[in-house]
Amino acid sequence: MEIIAFVIAVAVAYQALKGYRLSKERTLLYLNFSFILLGAGLLIDSLSNVFVLMGGFHRGLLFLSAIGYTINFIAQFLAFGILVVAYIHQTRSVSSQATLVVLPAVTFFEHNALAELILMFLLIFISAQTGINYGVTKAKNALLVFAAFASLAVSHFFFLLFTFAPIFFPFAHIAQLFGFLLLLAMLLRVNQPQ
Amino acid sequence: MIPSEQGEPTKPPTKYRSQLRIYVDIMRVIQREGNQAKPTRILYGANLSHDRLVRYLEELKSLAVIQEIGNDDKLYSMTQKGIEFLNNFRKLESFAEAFGFRI
Repeated sequence: MEIIAFVIAVAVAYQALKGYRLSKERTLLYLNFSFILLGAGLLIDSLSNVFVLMGGFHRGLLFLSAIGYTINFIAQFLAFGILVVAYIHQTRSVSSQATLVVLPAVTFFEHNALAELILMFLLIFISAQTGINYGVTKAKNALLVFAAFASLAVSHFFFLLFTFAPIFFPFAHIAQLFGFLLLLAMLLRVNQPQ
Repeated sequence: MIPSEQGEPTKPPTKYRSQLRIYVDIMRVIQREGNQAKPTRILYGANLSHDRLVRYLEELKSLAVIQEIGNDDKLYSMTQKGIEFLNNFRKLESFAEAFGFRI
């Protein structure tokens, strides 16, 4: 599932880069960085899990999964942080200094409730911004992006619940994949010939 | 116009149009006019002064995205390169707008 999400993240990053090259609009560069980081995090996390699976959950390899999760968390934290900065830069509603996000010097060795909570709040902010955009434009593409970020926020809510009850793990992954599939649907709609 | 507290009308905030946006506005006017537009139509459609229109039309011609046609009446049309550029721009604009960004 994470590999599919990685491919979609790279596709979104590429489209944002094309937009930046054409328009030199800085917010599109932020979007590009954000999805590159998301993709990298997802790839590293999924590869680390594949190694652990191939090693038959050997105790010596389990730390790989923890490292993968930590890198994925940092990547997602930075990615969504950059997106929050991009939205604030766009709306200029808040002083840019207030958006400075400091990476906490904490390493998360397992699915960590605090980590998921931080990501969830970042995603709720992004969902609100994209929701407002949909409210203004009423465009289907805007709705798809809003639904995608809302789905990613829900996935982190499930990851948060997973730290208390393992049953939520598959729901979290399904919600995450669904979010990226919605972004893919938006990309396909945008690129369809007129 | 929105009346201010003192009762005087205040101007809505003006949006800065980038050079790219002006190029696209000119090309869209030409497209809207059936790919044959007179300078006056472009002037009003793209909301430009005469001096700026002349300058931008020259720039677009040098980029080979528009061309001058007609002998007596000056008409402008888009080249194949211009049509492709506008299609690409439309896709990227839709993409950016889906996220709530403007280009």
